[in-house]
Amino acid sequence: MTASANGSRHGSAGVNVGVTETVGTGLNPPPAGITASTSRRMRTIRWALVGGGVLLLAWGAFVMFDLVRLTRIPGVALWIAAAILLHDAILAPIVFALGIGLRRAGRRVSGTVIAIVQGGIVVGSIVSLIAVPTIVAKNFAPANATVLPLNYGLNLGIFWIVLAALTVGLSAWAVMRERRGSGVRLQDDSER
Amino acid sequence: MRRLMYEAQRALASPVRNPRMATVIGRLLGAAFLICFGTGLYSHFLQEPLDWMRFATRPEFLYQVTQGTHIIAGIACFPLLLAKLHIVFPGLFAYPPVRGFWNFLERASIALFVGASLVQITIGLLNTYQWYPWPFPFRQVHFALGWVLIGLLVIHIGVKLPTITRYWNKASKASGDDDIDGGHRADHHLVDAVSGDRGENDEAARLRGTTRPGGLTGRALHYIDSTPRAASRLSRRGFLTTVGVATTAVVGLTAGQTFTPLNAVNLFGPRKKGVGQQGVPVNRTSKQAKVADAAMNSAWTLTVAVAGAERSFTRAELLALPQTDVTLPIACVEGWSQMAFWRGVRLRDLADLMSADPETSFRLISLEERGSFSKTQMGREYVRDPLTLVALELNGETLDLEHGYPARMIAPGRPGVLQTKWLSRIEAIES
Ligand code: HEM
Repeated sequence: MTASANGSRHGSAGVNVGVTETVGTGLNPPPAGITASTSRRMRTIRWALVGGGVLLLAWGAFVMFDLVRLTRIPGVALWIAAAILLHDAILAPIVFALGIGLRRAGRRVSGTVIAIVQGGIVVGSIVSLIAVPTIVAKNFAPANATVLPLNYGLNLGIFWIVLAALTVGLSAWAVMRERRGSGVRLQDDSER
Repeated sequence: MRRLMYEAQRALASPVRNPRMATVIGRLLGAAFLICFGTGLYSHFLQEPLDWMRFATRPEFLYQVTQGTHIIAGIACFPLLLAKLHIVFPGLFAYPPVRGFWNFLERASIALFVGASLVQITIGLLNTYQWYPWPFPFRQVHFALGWVLIGLLVIHIGVKLPTITRYWNKASKASGDDDIDGGHRADHHLVDAVSGDRGENDEAARLRGTTRPGGLTGRALHYIDSTPRAASRLSRRGFLTTVGVATTAVVGLTAGQTFTPLNAVNLFGPRKKGVGQQGVPVNRTSKQAKVADAAMNSAWTLTVAVAGAERSFTRAELLALPQTDVTLPIACVEGWSQMAFWRGVRLRDLADLMSADPETSFRLISLEERGSFSKTQMGREYVRDPLTLVALELNGETLDLEHGYPARMIAPGRPGVLQTKWLSRIEAIES
């Protein structure tokens, strides 16, 4: 299918499998502009994928009920529901608020620097996400001294210091580049 | 409600939240899921082989690589999954929330996909820290969720296929990517449409006609609106770079637990090369297995049973048999591995001594009485392999109690849980 054949880029619901796009807002590609034969092929492939996926999913559900005692299954469901909530209702709003805060705080700062600082915070947070549980778990006295043998708190501290230094260094470099005028390309559409 | 949902989508609009990004990150995440699933299944069937299954014994570090890859790709899922969720987050506020039966199923499947993915990678990671704060058995649930997730992934690809094919290539004009097309920047209009108030979006136009929410909501929205918007190309580049750096960081700073070249920067791996008795990390201890007394008892013997005949070997008798040196890794299901030098008696030699049929598989029994791996099976491909030993020494010393003294199995390409420690009995499985 070709993208250029799509005159309108808004909103029309995809009818192929009776489902619609959920990514983005109002930019869903309409199914228009594709020839009948490619559309039939696409339809077949999509139905095959959906059908195969449903079989795999059903097998997974069977395996779950086969291997896990019935009394344990609500616990699995609870964890799945809690994970969705934790992400959608807590993590994502925090990220959103931080993004707003950063952009407001950085009104006078070049877009490149904001992007670098934002990147630094995200990288540090994601590394912390996998590192902090090691610190917590180590407190529960692991089964033996070879499990979680490192000083993870210290390592995380060192990591943040190095990351902060790199972020500052990169930002300074970006500012200098812009001052010299070669940063124009990176800046392009930031002043709108 | 409708307006609120619309305003939420508008407030959340960002240059990185577009279908091209969803495709770019999605295919990386999909690849990581498939790698995890493939290597996970391999690990599963090594531990629970179906009758007809035979496994490769070379390269001897095969399992180290497959399970190391499982954990590496699994850890890479953290930044990739979060990035993917960040991109598609406005989709949560679609209005109307459900547009019919198929749409309901699709949204339900996405919800399950998101939740199950988050749970799968979280319990996987915490399991490698030997921290189990969940109310269900890890292995069984992780295995079942593996199938569930692959099913949901395939469904998801089927549902989104038109979008995926359309935005697969960078060149695609409406992709919101950076290609310059006759001086006209193709990405502008896309971003305008997203940010709502500048596009010709019907929905936007219609909603602009209506009054915007007042009160607190209105003020919050105004506050968000008055925040400077990020530059679109810069945002996308920054986003992709950030995801790349974050993935490199989480992988690079943990993979040293299995991948020697990264040992020096192993800051956050749950295991460290060379840390442990005789330079090898330990998983199950003699204390957990409650074997210390039986293992240190001077009356210990290893019994080999084949076709009704039995023979018991003292440790001295085993040491008197021809000894073989091998270099083989201990490779744990938890993803760490450690190369080591082992010396002991070839299992094949013991089997031949008892005139066992070369086609027979063996059962390995530990002094440990309870524990899921106190009795395990070994297929004939491992029994006949010249590298498979009843090991008596490790790294030039008598095997430490924590490594399975008086004698343990070591075979190429098997997970650590099957390298039975504190051996007590080896028997041919007569078919
Ligand atoms: C979507 C991603 C994942 C899929 C599809 C997946 C799938 C699997 C499967 C099918 C197994 C075999 C289970 C069995 O032996 O019955 C397995 C084992 C395992 N996985 Fe994953 N996995 C994923 C992510 C992860 C992550 C992120 C981690 C940790 C960082 C992880 C850690 C483990 C561990 C430690 C085992 C060994 C379990 C054992 O044998 O005791 N997995 N995985």
